[in-house]
Amino acid sequence: MRPKRINAAVNLMNTPRSVDLAITNQCNLRCTYCSHFTSAGDVGQDLPTEEWLRFFEELNRCAVMDAILQGAEPFCREDLKQLIQGIVRNRMRFNILSNGTLITDEMASFLASTYRCDGVQISIDGSTPKIHDACRGKGNFVRAMKGIKILRRHGLPVSVRVTIHKHNLKDLEDIARLLLEEVGLPSFSTNSASFMGLCRYNAEEVQLSPEDRFLAMETLLRLHRKYNSRINAEAGPLAEAETWLEMEKARQERRERMPGRGCLTGCGGPMSKLAVRADGVIVPCIQMSHIELGRINRDDLHEVWENHPELKRLRERRNIPLSDFEFCKGCDYIPYCTGNCPALAYTILGEENHPSPDACLRKFLEEGGRLPDENAK
Amino acid sequence: MPDTAKPIPNSLVVLREEFDDWAILFDSATGNAFGLNPVGVFVWKCLDGNRTIKEIVNELRENCEGVPEEAEGHLREFIQDLVEQGLAGYETQKD
Ligand code: SF4
Ligand code: SF4
Repeated sequence: MRPKRINAAVNLMNTPRSVDLAITNQCNLRCTYCSHFTSAGDVGQDLPTEEWLRFFEELNRCAVMDAILQGAEPFCREDLKQLIQGIVRNRMRFNILSNGTLITDEMASFLASTYRCDGVQISIDGSTPKIHDACRGKGNFVRAMKGIKILRRHGLPVSVRVTIHKHNLKDLEDIARLLLEEVGLPSFSTNSASFMGLCRYNAEEVQLSPEDRFLAMETLLRLHRKYNSRINAEAGPLAEAETWLEMEKARQERRERMPGRGCLTGCGGPMSKLAVRADGVIVPCIQMSHIELGRINRDDLHEVWENHPELKRLRERRNIPLSDFEFCKGCDYIPYCTGNCPALAYTILGEENHPSPDACLRKFLEEGGRLPDENAK
Repeated sequence: MPDTAKPIPNSLVVLREEFDDWAILFDSATGNAFGLNPVGVFVWKCLDGNRTIKEIVNELRENCEGVPEEAEGHLREFIQDLVEQGLAGYETQKD
């Protein structure tokens, strides 16, 4: 049996499942590779509490399930508890992305008492204060590790993100030991300092060279095996190692194509989520804060989601073949490549609907990069 | 459950209609999510605390095609399942 009226088949969900909310533009740190400061998301102001609370009611009406609270640094907001209570009242669950240095026992106890916190992600970049603090500032390793301890004491799910850069490249083994063996986390994730925000001005000092990337890939693949996949990544050297090795294998086997590859399919974000900047402007993703889609409490979220031409343009990028780009001309990897992250394509080239040069395997190899041995111990 | 019992949804549960009349029931208290087919969605929307199961079956017959004879039994099982998962309950009778 079935209801008599059936909606026309569309493959876009009615409303976003989750929203990334930059609830504040403030941060107590200034990390040298920070992707927020000096980016289009660095809006120099915060919204009043009531504006967020009103917006959460709209999220409830839209049946949004998850809110990812970020900033700059979410724990800088003095009304954070009120905001979280608003999220809970509006039947959502939440995650927090944080540098971990401002977490107090009282705040952790509050978070635990909501029973809606799916995780707090803390950034840890080194196994020692010297290495972690190289980019994040003195004293912050000790504070962040203390933050993790407090959260865990309250039974909150804690995850750690390690951003790989020139200063911690040789510390990865010790970082894995610290996080997985000493602290006893179930897993942690990695990425790398990428050409966004402050990193654009400090690229020489922090970003990995092709040789550094090779080293990072090799080390992370080895640790990934050693710790039974307890290290994961959606971007950065470990993700690249896995994708690039697959692409190279497909090329050697002369496979016709790989499913879902050959076009700009590298980002599925605009199909399931939206983001809001600290000033209330709705954007497709925090990393693409330059694309303004509307304003909360002024524009209808459902309408923006379904009909905004910029969102449609981003969703349609998955139909653009890589062979259309001069950049990819003659590349053997076209049938196996996704063109990767549109936000990085934008910060490097000023155009989202283009393959990202940063994640281009051919360019990496041309610049002297090497692929690690998949089976190396 | 007596025939006069009127099922009602757990107020913490969100109905998230996604594609082609299919939906997810999202329990924000636990984070659990359950898939609903279009008929399940129709039934969920009838759980307003004002209708008995028999009345919901009548609504189904009026609004859906090909409702089988044994629909009432299926509906009772479906609602019992929702109740066991904590997604729904019954309106308590006021004296
Ligand atoms: S990376 Fe995070 S902690 Fe560091 S300055 Fe940026 S927002 Fe603050
Ligand atoms: S040139 Fe780079 S981005 Fe283009 S298909 Fe080849 S590897 Fe992919």
